[in-house]
Amino acid sequence: MATTQTVRVGRGLGERAMGRVFLAPSFAFMAVIALFPVFYAIGRSLYDIQGFRQEFTGIDNYVRVLTDPGFLNAVWNTLVFTVASVSLEFVIGMAFALIMNQAFVGRGLTRAVILIPWVIPTAVAAQVWRFMFDRNPGFVNAVLGTDINWLRDPFWSMVGVVSADVWKTAPFVALLLLAGLQTIPKDYYEAARVDGANALQRFWSVTLPLLRPAIVVALLFRTVEAMRMFDFAYVFTGYSNSLATLSVYAQRYLVREPDLGYANALSTVTFVIVMLVGLAFISRMGRHMIGDVARKEKR
Amino acid sequence: MPLLPHQKRYTARVFAAGAAALGLTLATACGEPPGEGTAGEGGDTAGLSDDPAFVWAVTGADRAIHEEVARLWNEENPDQQVDIFFLAPTADEQRQAMFQDLQNQAGEFDVLGLDVIWTGEFAEYGYIESLEDLRGEVEGVSLEGAVDSAQWQQELYALPYSSNGAFLYYRTDLVEEPPTTWEELYDTGTAAAEEAGISAYVGQGDQYEGFVVNFLELYWSAGGQLFDDAQERSTFLEGDAATTALDFMTRAYETGFYADGFDTMVEDDARALFQAGEAVYMRNWPYAIPLLQGEGDEESAVVDDFAVAPLPTFGGEGTTSALGGLNNAVSTLSDSKELAREFVLWAATDPEAQDVLMRNSLPPTMLSAYENTEDPDFQMLGDILAQAEARPPVPGYNSLSLAVQDHLHPAFRGQAEPQPALEAVDQAANDALEQE
Repeated sequence: MATTQTVRVGRGLGERAMGRVFLAPSFAFMAVIALFPVFYAIGRSLYDIQGFRQEFTGIDNYVRVLTDPGFLNAVWNTLVFTVASVSLEFVIGMAFALIMNQAFVGRGLTRAVILIPWVIPTAVAAQVWRFMFDRNPGFVNAVLGTDINWLRDPFWSMVGVVSADVWKTAPFVALLLLAGLQTIPKDYYEAARVDGANALQRFWSVTLPLLRPAIVVALLFRTVEAMRMFDFAYVFTGYSNSLATLSVYAQRYLVREPDLGYANALSTVTFVIVMLVGLAFISRMGRHMIGDVARKEKR
Repeated sequence: MPLLPHQKRYTARVFAAGAAALGLTLATACGEPPGEGTAGEGGDTAGLSDDPAFVWAVTGADRAIHEEVARLWNEENPDQQVDIFFLAPTADEQRQAMFQDLQNQAGEFDVLGLDVIWTGEFAEYGYIESLEDLRGEVEGVSLEGAVDSAQWQQELYALPYSSNGAFLYYRTDLVEEPPTTWEELYDTGTAAAEEAGISAYVGQGDQYEGFVVNFLELYWSAGGQLFDDAQERSTFLEGDAATTALDFMTRAYETGFYADGFDTMVEDDARALFQAGEAVYMRNWPYAIPLLQGEGDEESAVVDDFAVAPLPTFGGEGTTSALGGLNNAVSTLSDSKELAREFVLWAATDPEAQDVLMRNSLPPTMLSAYENTEDPDFQMLGDILAQAEARPPVPGYNSLSLAVQDHLHPAFRGQAEPQPALEAVDQAANDALEQE
């Protein structure tokens, strides 16, 4: 949406039409690889499929989804995970970004080092963390001096997955926020300093408001990704209900306990939930960014 | 918010950074799955024949053995050669690959190498042909448990190919005689472990199929049976076998008889600990023997200090192992069903084919193979398999297995009440008999 708006702002009509022509192939491509599977899945979710036998059952699968305690449990797990991991990642990522934005000796090295966790494939990172959390040989317990069943106790396994995910994705948030920080002109800080604002006030009144678009983008990406998190939960506890997220729960009916119609209904509901959250973010983001552009236009 | 001249460019920049980052995430997420080497872990044909008449889909684990069997067939039948499509080594992925072939009407596979627990599901879904008329060829020839695992509702849908059974591995330097009852196992294990300063028992306690197998072995050896003979209703709670088995596991977990981390342990975790000399007893499949003897890449601390025995029971009589292995079935989508049937029968009953498995330490299903072997461990395995129990190949076995994992795993760890957990499994067993 933001792109079409921008196009309309500066250019003439002819170029707009040209833009559509240029966009058509990529739109067609998106339609084939993204929209078709979505609608196909929605179609399949209206059937009860057992091997070669299938029967149209309308919304039965959806009724079952909404009354399935396993599904509600997965929603709860996903929410807990999303809220916990995204808030921690945001706070830690912000701290990283502020550090990396300072000029100091070894800044380049620090930036590179901080990004290492994020470039490791999640499935690999998950295996490594699982091994470290395992009670036998028990690396994490040895370091912390605890005797916690990190992988099987429902509470602690959630703590484990959240920490592993924070370790992995806080650098990603830091990267996005750093990009935002670097666009803030130094003049504002100087002006604030002249006005006698201390560090906290400068952060609160200059950095945060100007960083807002970057923050919204970072939170959007992280929230949507966290809501469809699969790797860590699956590697840590398999299909166990104690940690099953929406994706893991859908996968269970797709692969482990095949019931294709139901699996498609679960995927569709998951898709809708994630999309609603995504739209909520985008609409907020859109209001600020597009609003600014529009105001500029009027002027 | 104040209007800034660079606002637009700034927004675009944030977007670009975000998009680049997202793109990278996607690229890594869609990359090669870790640990799947290009050495053909699965997902391609083996190229055993230039002009194959039919295709056998089978697990990529023990790849060399299946290839040798197929080559033997091709030598004997140069006009009707087989090629192998190797599936992934893990059971879930194998099943998914076969489901995709069948459900999408692709029909690339003629012969399906099925895990022993899938018979009912594939039969019920209409994926595999009835082989009831071949029953006479395998009864009395193949292991009884293997034949049981290949039938659903008294109809034969597959023929046995390979088998697997459990040994109790024990440390000869710490235990004099292998125990015959679970109680004795518990007592001797606890005492020896304390003396040596190691763990008493390792096995398969992670929340997966292996846990179900470990539980069922206790359950069966306490006299339990999941279903009545007609496979019409659950008899899970009849008698006290379920309680006995669960109580044993709960106590073993609480008192530390099970090694630390038992609840996340799979086959190879147990093997590694036992191999490092960290446990008195281990429940495991036969594959660990050569590794423990130091024939693998890893050093073994127990080369001369271990032996195998049958698993104990609660009464001290006999032994009860869960039966593993593969059965071969004929796909209903095959366009060379006659040939596929011939191959399935040949793989089950040809002494040479079955001998290929034996020579490669993959337990065969033909009784005569065990009678002719001179390896004492395999002779013992023959006895164990003759008494082994097949997990019931009912259509809903996967749901039943997940129910056992969902309910009994927290229960044995003391995080759920045992009685409701057992009742939930009973309910799931009844549900597993009928398709929804």
